[in-house]
This record gives sequence, C-alpha cells and structure tokens, in this order.
Amino acid sequence: MTIGTSDSGLPRRRWRFLDRRSFGTTTVGSPPTSTDSGPSRLERLVPVLLVAAAVVCLATPGWAQEQKEAAYRAFPYVGSRLAIWVIAQIHLNFAAFILGVPIFAVIIEFMGWRIGMDREEGRRYDWLSHEFVKLTFTAFSTTALLGGLLLFLLITLYPRFWTFMSGIFAPTMWLYAALFFLETFTVYLWYYGWDWLSGPRKGLHVAIGVLSNLLGTAILFVSNSWVTFMISPAGVDDTGKFTGTLWQAVNNFTWMPVNIHRLIANVVFGGTIAAGYAAFRFLGAKTDEERARYDWMGYIGNFVALSALMVLPFAGYWLGFEIYGYNQTMGITMMGGFMSWLWIVQAILIGVLFLGSNYYLWLGMERIPGAERFRPWIKYLLLVIALGFMVWATPRSLIASLGEVRAMGGSDHRFLRFFGVMTAKNTAVNLMILTTFFSYLLYRRANREPTVRWARTGMLLQYATFVLAAAAVIGLGLGGYFVEAIVRIRRFSPMQVGAVLLCIVIVMAIDIPMFKGARSTGTIRWGTIAPRSQYVLILLAVTFTWLMGLMGFARSGIRQHWHVYGVMQDRSPDALTPALGYAANVITMTTILFFLMVMFIFWLGGLGEKGHAAAEAHGGHPAPAPIAGGSPEA
Amino acid sequence: MAVPVTVKVSAFALAVMGSYSWYANSIPQIESKPPEELSLEGGNVTPAQLVAAGEKIFREKGQCTTCHGIGRAGRGPDLAGVGARAGTRKPGTKASAYLVESLLNPSAYVVEGFPNIMPNVSKPPIGLNRSELWAVASFLESLGGTVDVKLDDVPQVATAQTGGGAATIELPGDPKAGQAIFTGKAACIACHKAGAIGASPVGPDLSNIAGSQTPEYIMGKILDPASKGTVSGFPPNVMPKTFGQQLTAKEYLDLVSFLLTLKGGAAPAAAGQAAAKPKP
Repeated sequence: MTIGTSDSGLPRRRWRFLDRRSFGTTTVGSPPTSTDSGPSRLERLVPVLLVAAAVVCLATPGWAQEQKEAAYRAFPYVGSRLAIWVIAQIHLNFAAFILGVPIFAVIIEFMGWRIGMDREEGRRYDWLSHEFVKLTFTAFSTTALLGGLLLFLLITLYPRFWTFMSGIFAPTMWLYAALFFLETFTVYLWYYGWDWLSGPRKGLHVAIGVLSNLLGTAILFVSNSWVTFMISPAGVDDTGKFTGTLWQAVNNFTWMPVNIHRLIANVVFGGTIAAGYAAFRFLGAKTDEERARYDWMGYIGNFVALSALMVLPFAGYWLGFEIYGYNQTMGITMMGGFMSWLWIVQAILIGVLFLGSNYYLWLGMERIPGAERFRPWIKYLLLVIALGFMVWATPRSLIASLGEVRAMGGSDHRFLRFFGVMTAKNTAVNLMILTTFFSYLLYRRANREPTVRWARTGMLLQYATFVLAAAAVIGLGLGGYFVEAIVRIRRFSPMQVGAVLLCIVIVMAIDIPMFKGARSTGTIRWGTIAPRSQYVLILLAVTFTWLMGLMGFARSGIRQHWHVYGVMQDRSPDALTPALGYAANVITMTTILFFLMVMFIFWLGGLGEKGHAAAEAHGGHPAPAPIAGGSPEA
Repeated sequence: MAVPVTVKVSAFALAVMGSYSWYANSIPQIESKPPEELSLEGGNVTPAQLVAAGEKIFREKGQCTTCHGIGRAGRGPDLAGVGARAGTRKPGTKASAYLVESLLNPSAYVVEGFPNIMPNVSKPPIGLNRSELWAVASFLESLGGTVDVKLDDVPQVATAQTGGGAATIELPGDPKAGQAIFTGKAACIACHKAGAIGASPVGPDLSNIAGSQTPEYIMGKILDPASKGTVSGFPPNVMPKTFGQQLTAKEYLDLVSFLLTLKGGAAPAAAGQAAAKPKP
C-alpha cells in the first residue's frame, strides 16, 4: 500500500512561514524593495520537519500495523467528522485565496506593464498587483500548515479510506508534491524578483507570474481529481473493486466541471477577500491619500469578483448537469431530496452577492462626476434584481406540514409554484446577470462621453442587444414550461446562457472602441465614497466565504453515507449527514475561524510593515504617488 | 468614545453570519441517516408485515419517492394501482415476476413517455438486499393487487461490495470448529435451523444466511443482536446478548466462518475456510 505518499496531500502551495517584512500596507505604493528578505532558517525548517514527521509516523511498523486493522478512529470530544470538516473547510478557504488572487494579480501586473511603467497609471497597477500578491504571501504558510493537519487527520481518523484512495491515486500524489515544489519556487521568484526583473526584464517577470498561475491551476486540478472521484468514481466494477486506469479515475464525470467551477469561484473569492481587506483599511485610514488608495483597491477587488461571479452560475449549472449525467439518483437527491432547502439558502446568498455588488457600483457612481445622468436607471435595475432574487428563492418540491399543505390548497402553492421550477429560476438568474452587466456598463461610462461619430448608432446597437438578449431569455424561459425536461435542460438552458454571454461579448466589442478617446466629464474622486459602501464589500467577503462553506457541505453531503459514492460506504458513527441547521452552525464557526486567522496574519503583517515604513522614512523609497482621478475603469 | 473599526467590522460580520445561521436553523431540518438492513430470511412473515416493511423501504432506503408518486405523477410513472396493472403489462408474466424484474432490471420495461433513468435498486448506492426487494415487491403488489410474491421469486442478488474492493481479508476461523460451537457451546441449535442441522422454529432459519446477509451483519448480530433489529415474525429480545463474553475470540471467528458457509444448501459444508469481505 502506498502510504508513503503522505507528503503529497500536504499544503497546496508553499512551505513558508510568515515573512514579517513582506506584507502589511502602511507603505502601500512602494515597490517591493531589495530589503524584502526571505524566511529565517528556522522558518524554512518547520515545514520540512512537518513532512519528515509525517514520513516517520507512516514508516513506523507499529503504526502501519495498526493502520491495517482500524477502519476508523475517533477524534476526542468533537468527533472525527467535525474535526475533518472544520480543518478541511478552513484549508480550502485559504487555498482558494492563494490560488485565486494571483490569477488577477498577474493580469493587473500585465496591464500595468503594457500601459508603461514610465506612466503613473502603469506604476499604480504594478503597485496594486504587488499588494495583492503580498496578501496571498502571508496566507501561504497557514494554508500549508492546515493542509498538513488535514492530511494527518485523514490518515489517523479514516485509515482505511486513506489506504483505498492512495492505492488509486498515489502517482498523482507524487505529482502533486512535485508541482507544489515547482510552484513554491516560482512564486518566490515572482515575489522577490519584483525589483530585480523590472525595466526591460518586466516581461520575464510577468511570464513568471503566469507560470506560477499555471502551476497553481495544475495543483488545483490534481487535488480535484481526488475529491471528484469520491463523488463520481470511475473505473470501478460491480463489486466495488477498482479495475480501471489512473486516468479513468482522474478524468471522472465531475472532474472538469469542478475544475472550472473552482477556478472561477477562487477568483471571486480572492476578489471579495482582497476587497474586504481594502474596505477594512479604508475604514481605518487616517489620511485622504490612504482612503483614496484603498477605495481604488476595493473597487478593483470587487470588479474582479463581480466579473467572475457573472459566469459562475453557468459553471455551476454545468456541474449540476454532469452530476445528473453521472447518477440520476444523486442528482435528484441533491436538488429534490433532503438537500432541497440548501438551494434556497444558496439562492439567498447569491441574491445578496448580486444585490451587494450592484449596490456598491451604484454607491461608487456617487463619486464620479457625470454619473448623475444615470441615476434614474437605478430603481429599475434594483427592481429586476429584487424580482429575480425572489423568484430564485422560491421553493419547490419541499416537505410541508399538513397545515401548510391545507393553507396552500395543495402540495404546491397555486400561484408561486410556477416560480419554483427550474425554468423560472434559470430565467431569473440570467436576467440578474444581464442587469448586473448593465450596471457595470453604466459605471464604466459614468464620467465619459463618446466622441466617435458612430456613437449614437453604437449605443442603439448596444441597447438593442440588451433587449434582444432579455427577450430571448424570457421567451426561452416561458417555452421551458411547455417542453420535456430533457429539452429544457439540454437546449433551452444553454441557449439562455448563450444569449447572455453573446450579449456581453457584443456590447463590450462595441463599447471598447466607442469610448476610446472619450471626453471626460470629470475625474473620479477616489476616497470620497460613502463608508457604508465598505461595509457592502465586507458583506460580500463574508457572504461568499459562507457560501463556499455551504457548497462544500453540498458537495460532500450529496454522497450521503458513502466515502466514495456507491463504492466505499461510510460505516463510522459519523455516517449520518446532518441537517442544514447543524451544517450552518459549523459553516459559521469555520467562517469565523477563517476570518480570525486572516485578521491575525494581516495584523502581524501590519506590525512588520510599521518597522519597514520607519526604515524607509530614514532614507528608504519615496512615498507612493497619491491616487487621484483616472478613468472610471481605473 | 469612538468604537474601533475592528469592533464595528467584526460585529457587522457576526451579524451577517448569524442571520444566515438563524435562517438555516429556522427551516425544516432533514437528516440523511444511513439505511438499516432488513432481514426476512427464514422468518414467518405475514403479508401485512411484508407490505408494511416494503412501504418503509419504498419511502426511505429505496428512495423510490424521489421519482414515483402514488396517486400523482412524478419523474417516474404513478404507481397507484400498479399491483393490478403489473400482471397485464407483459402477457404470460405474473405481476410478481414483472415487479421483481422491474426492480432488478428497470430498463426491461420502460413505461412509454418516461425516460429510462431508474437504477437497479439492488446495486449501490441504493443496494437493497433480497429481503428488502421481496418486501418492496409485496408493497407494490398491495397497490391494487394481491400480495403473493414469494422470497423465491426474488433471485439471489449479487450484493456489491461497498468497502472499496481493496480491503479484502480472509477470516481466520475454522468452519468445522464453528459448527461444533453452533451445536455445542453457543447452543444456537436450540433456536435456529442451519441446513440439515436443527429444526427448531423459535428463531429464523439460518440455512441461507450467508447468501442473504453480509458478514458484517452476521458478526454484529452475534455480538449485539438488538443493533441489527429483529426478523419480522419473531419476538424481539429473545436472542442472548452475552455471546461476546461467553465465546473466546477464536470460537467467535469459528462460528462466523461456519455461518458464512450457509448458502442455501441442505447441509452445511463444514470444510475449508470461508472468505469474507467485510465492509469498512
């Protein structure tokens, strides 16, 4: 048995403890300097010792003997399931953050590089990119330690399950470890080489950033293969024995949908956390300059999150589609069985995300001269999003008491039942996405007026595209009531998604050239946004973190009493899948723990940075140029 | 005095999370419990008991209500009156045979207008055993028809392993010695029949216990009879709970090994070792 692969399940990205001098934000705007130092020798040693401890434990004959005999062990006081659940979820949160943020950090760095480092705007983007990477850097070691703890818990509490999984996936675990090392070194080079690879070598630096993201994505894909195999195992015969190839096990039904879904969700998560961090700094800022800087950072974080959020439901739909394709029973259990209420809670959370993101954009328009002309639109946009929210949160196929059934006049409400079905919900969410995109478009042009001759035609084409897309979504939604489920699922829903995506592409294809060289009606007054907008950013960060916990419960819960669905049954005392209330309490607890840890490491970073700033004040780098004005899209 | 930003932000975040938790706790709380296994082998079960057991499986472990309604349409056909209809669906095929085959090979008779989505319910993840299939078929027959399905109408189903296949072990017991324990020290023979051995009607006939039950069930039943329930038609709490203390570890393994040889034959084959694949 390949238990010697213990290190392969360890931390996702980096073996590194906190670099006390490499984060914090009081010197924002300063490019990373050559004074940034790496971790101390002791700090470097700790992760290595962790791996060594794992290897020693697993190599101990007595341990190995016991491992063969025990299927389960109990974690004291709280039980094995809760212990694994909490640690896995917090590890996942950190991992999502450190995988998601670098994706948009490198894009921002690329933008700064293309604009030109000799221009103020280019340098600002470069600073922001570095700031984002700095945030993830502080979270690396925590992610690694949590990954190590999770591995130990799995091996010690669920030894037979671990033996089974490692028996199939051992080579991928070795690959995971190798990728992990490569990615660590690449990110180190990316972060510490910021000054060294500047000027004419900036392109190489950006390429290293891209490479670190590719490696991070590969790590994500490898670890996803283990999780998705548990949901939709492939290569298993009727007796439950694995007879397939490794590639069959990896490339199972839900692997690629989960890959894509997590990749996008990580970007949303990274964006919301970065924006939440900026909001926190904004609220505590002492100077206008600081406020302006964190206002801008929060805006970019939210913009990134919102952009990815708009396509996330499509990826989620694909994942659900594949789960149904793999096993109807599982799909039906997920959507119409004991987990049906979970999707109502999910709808509420996503509704909050859409409402919050739009509200933030509308508040942001208050600091843009010229945006007043779009203010009358907002109430209609709010109406569409609120209606969409209500439709999406309308339940169906839920257990009702006899009294409730009598009150409704049947098992379904005679009127609301039409909104509880999939065709109505798909229509609602597509309209919400269209509306959000429209909000963004208004924000984008808030202080600009096009000067091209074809501006009027372009605008008309854009509005016509919106109207046509909305009509297509509504028409297909209505048609969905009158066709077989298979037609609705395989044709109508993808067509609705296609209409929305096509609309976004066409409108942006017109918008970008139309506003090139546009006349400005005034510069954005960064830092003057209402403070309540920053609470919206915090609301988004908390809500998305909570949503991640909920979706983690859904992904795990649909297996019910199976470790590996239909193959390896959970026969431990924890085999019961808890009700939503209990799950919600655990999710809240993990979310609180996650934010406490995040605040702690950011606070530590702030301590280190204070010393760093003091050093700079005595002959260090000059203070950053203040952010003022700029284009609406920053 | 100004409230620090950290306090304000923390209070706000806690309020947000608290509201989500509160809502999730205020809606119906439904748990998903691992299903229990039902054993009716060798029992004197009345049709009424069978139907009652079948309805419970239909609504719970079998997850049939996810797609089927009784008196209302669902993803699958409405099963009201299926007991009467089943005998007419295929000329020459009795209702019982039709229903059993529909459970084990659902694609054999797909009702027009419905997709071919039903799984074989004897396979994981639902994994009904022979007794449970018998009970469900009886319940379906009771929906407008006559309950006449027999256990023998349900073929021996290959119970799929649910231990991941990789965890195969052999029990180090001696079936021959186990037979001696069965008839001697443990005195199982006082209540149970095992092939040609014993004839007492006090407890269920164990002549086919290895064919109808998992090793885990058998082992658990000996050590803690109440944990596995009581076979329908027999009084509860009769089987002693003291075998765990009474038998040595070797005797226990021998006894289990002997019981695992009982696969429906007239006489137990008390030779050779029985291989068992316990579930984790």
